[in-house]
Amino acid sequence: MRIGKVNIENYKCFEGRFSASFNKCINIIVGDNEAGKSTILESINLALTGVLNGRYLKNELSQYLFNYNVVNTYLESLRQGKNPSLPEILIEVFFDGCELPLFEGNGNSEKVKGCGVSFKIEFDSTYQGEYEALIAEGDDITTVPIEYYKINWKSFARDSVTSRSIPIKSVLIDSTSSKYQNGSDVYISRIIRNDLEDRERVKLSQAYRKMKDTFIDDASVQAINEKISGKAKISDKNLSISVDLSTQNSWETTLMTYLDNVPFHQIGKGEQCIIKTNLAIRHEKSQEANLVLLEEPENHLSHSKLNLLIKAVTDSCDGKQVIISTHSSYVANKLGLENLILLNDQTVTRLPDLPTETFTFFKKLPGYQTLRMLLCRKAVLVEGDSDELIFQRAYMDAHGGRLPIEDGIDVISVKLTFKRFLDIAIKINQPVAVITDNDSDYANKITKKYKDYLAYNCVNIFADDRNELNTLEPQFVDANRADLATLCDVIRVSSGTYDTAEKVSDYMVGHKTGWALKVFESDTALQYPEYINKAVVWCDEQK
Amino acid sequence: MNKNKLIIAAAGSGKTTLLVNQALAVESGAVLITTYTEANGREIRDRIIAKKGFMPSNITVQTWFAFLLQHGVRPYQSVLNDNIHSHDIGFFLSSEKSGKKLDAEGNPILFKRRPIYWGEKDFLRYYFTSRFNIYSDKISKFVFNTDKATKGELISRITRIYKYIYIDEIQDLAGFDLELIKLIFKSNSSVILVGDPRQVTYLTHHSTKYGKYANGQIKSFVEKELGKRIQCEVDETTLSASHRNNQAICEYSAKLYPDLPAPFACGCDSCKVNDAHVGVFMIKPSEVELYLSTYKPVQLRWSSASKINPNYPVLNFGESKGATMDRVLIYPTNPMKEWIGNNAYPLKNEGRSKLYVGLTRARLSSTIVMNYQEGNCIDGVTFFTFTGDAVD
Repeated sequence: MRIGKVNIENYKCFEGRFSASFNKCINIIVGDNEAGKSTILESINLALTGVLNGRYLKNELSQYLFNYNVVNTYLESLRQGKNPSLPEILIEVFFDGCELPLFEGNGNSEKVKGCGVSFKIEFDSTYQGEYEALIAEGDDITTVPIEYYKINWKSFARDSVTSRSIPIKSVLIDSTSSKYQNGSDVYISRIIRNDLEDRERVKLSQAYRKMKDTFIDDASVQAINEKISGKAKISDKNLSISVDLSTQNSWETTLMTYLDNVPFHQIGKGEQCIIKTNLAIRHEKSQEANLVLLEEPENHLSHSKLNLLIKAVTDSCDGKQVIISTHSSYVANKLGLENLILLNDQTVTRLPDLPTETFTFFKKLPGYQTLRMLLCRKAVLVEGDSDELIFQRAYMDAHGGRLPIEDGIDVISVKLTFKRFLDIAIKINQPVAVITDNDSDYANKITKKYKDYLAYNCVNIFADDRNELNTLEPQFVDANRADLATLCDVIRVSSGTYDTAEKVSDYMVGHKTGWALKVFESDTALQYPEYINKAVVWCDEQK
Repeated sequence: MNKNKLIIAAAGSGKTTLLVNQALAVESGAVLITTYTEANGREIRDRIIAKKGFMPSNITVQTWFAFLLQHGVRPYQSVLNDNIHSHDIGFFLSSEKSGKKLDAEGNPILFKRRPIYWGEKDFLRYYFTSRFNIYSDKISKFVFNTDKATKGELISRITRIYKYIYIDEIQDLAGFDLELIKLIFKSNSSVILVGDPRQVTYLTHHSTKYGKYANGQIKSFVEKELGKRIQCEVDETTLSASHRNNQAICEYSAKLYPDLPAPFACGCDSCKVNDAHVGVFMIKPSEVELYLSTYKPVQLRWSSASKINPNYPVLNFGESKGATMDRVLIYPTNPMKEWIGNNAYPLKNEGRSKLYVGLTRARLSSTIVMNYQEGNCIDGVTFFTFTGDAVD
């Protein structure tokens, strides 16, 4: 039993509809900051547990759950006197590989037979009258009237569900959050509770109740109560202190989990993350599946702990499903490229969707390179080390000495495999620039070679069309021909010996990386070929 | 053993007890027990809890309509009509043929002084009230058609949820209900139907489909309509003793259905009673007040229009089905009185059934409120009066 797919509509960063499907075991979501990685994990957990940020969402509905643009569109069309339909949030989780006829039906937005749950935050039509009155008054409405909203949580059979009735128990492990400084951590008590059999749960709450009773019956507590009662003659009623006996499952909220006598929330975030993950993964109830949602595990974890965690996750592949969001190319690479879900502009791509030969190619690479391109904001692909150094320097000169990577721009040296990288880039709409030589044949080596990619806005090819300047070296010399002496200075050759462009160029070709490193490290700024300058400008453009 | 079974037996013979015991004996797999009335549903629940101490999580007790709404209508509610994909479909208990065409004021439009009805082509108005409550007389047709449209997915889902499907008061199901029973028979689930052809007090709808099987003819339905591939065993002998009624009540009520085997009072120790006022009696209306205060019977009537004493408990005949009481006081309708006076009187099916149900509720005494002539006698009934001794 596992989740096969999720549909999200109008929730937080997702404007309109977003849809992603998942592998049965490990899934790694990678993508930009703000791309919605955490929102995916959060919404899956919400639809399966009703819990958001450690609290039941039911009484904490707020406008901020809605996508900003959707809310604005609604308010704007209200202002124009139209009668827009109220925004709604939908999170739909499709189960997979399971026999759960109770959850089967076509009560989902795709109107197909499926097995799963649908979690909606929608207008409660019993308030239709109030809402109409509100609109009719014509006051400037500046927020979504959230007080008229309700949660509609149902199975695909259109039957109401609760977190107890949903057989997939999800655990969200979010080591980045520091929301639980006080009291017991909801998530850990949930994990523990889910792991207990009914019988054990009953015993635990009985033991807890007994403890409370013992407290009240204790002689000293009774003495104190008599004293309080005697002093506080506010009315003829009795005042006393006691333990809260009212809530049904109060052990969950009041019992604290300890690790070597240290309260759980006091131990390091990294350790917390590992323990929670292990608890969740080693869940023993056979009839219930477990879904572990792991948010950016690389935070707070040392390299060796991270390795431990990854090992725990990879070893757990029997019936447990794991969805991880990460920024770390290390994590992603360790867990397997085939499990990658690339998130970009509200669309997802999986590497297996790529052309077979491209996928096989990337499977052979160490993986870092691929992930670097996927995880950066913009990627600049260059042929070799000297191109990389020169581009970086050109960028630094234009940006007060900042390296491109500091602005989320990764410069990747890909030898002759540009097209492979472009195959991925067009899949995920990743802005990518190619800086390349024309190799004396611009028509074939550039125009023809890349013509299929230029249809995509995200792909930009930077090359010079003067065939006589076939590689970086003659291009670079040409850019500096007005002041060859300075160039010679920087690359530490005698301007007397190398007194023509051809000579300098020939020298540079013979000392490929050497000259480029010298340019890169020099205090003197030089001129750069036009196609490189253009690439620098492209880096600054909004995508 | 055949997985499908129809058990036919008289009132008080332990039909419901049998279902409860069967359900409690199931070790793994979910059990559905469904019945027509809320009251009988409660009775079943109470008996399970009395036996077991709690409601086992694998047993669901639901009325037939609640079951149809939850598992028949909602899971695939939009397959027949896409417009109702997101509606909250509710239920409307219709006491007459539903879907009348109404004018702007809400009055029925008449044609030759008869109401006219929406046809199936007007899908929404045919099946639903304006608030999307599905009509009780069409719900099983809706379910049947939806199942067909989903190529059996709907029934498959139900029978994968419930490995055991037990239906009490089967005589109340009719029309498309019977089609659904047929489909469930075909599945892998074990089915037990129990019922009493004498106790047709409700019919789930007024459909003309399978009209000839409407009046307690479920046995002939099972024998004639299932076809060769569906098997169902009919059992009319296992439950032949009444554990509720004494011999006098058994014998008198049997006169209503002379063609069916008469049950006999079970003679076992646990069924024996020790009471002075036992049997079938008749009292004059003038003595009702005193009778009520002396014996505290439950009053049984045709409908809320019947005159009774509001200070004592009262039930309609239909509502009382399935219940056991110590004593009942029956307010017969005029046709019932005709029959009581002369057993050859052709009392109609509904009246016959309801009188039978009323008479067979009591463990001790069933008493009929009706004027009688001293000196006359009615076979099986004892005239009772407080002014002198009982006269036979």
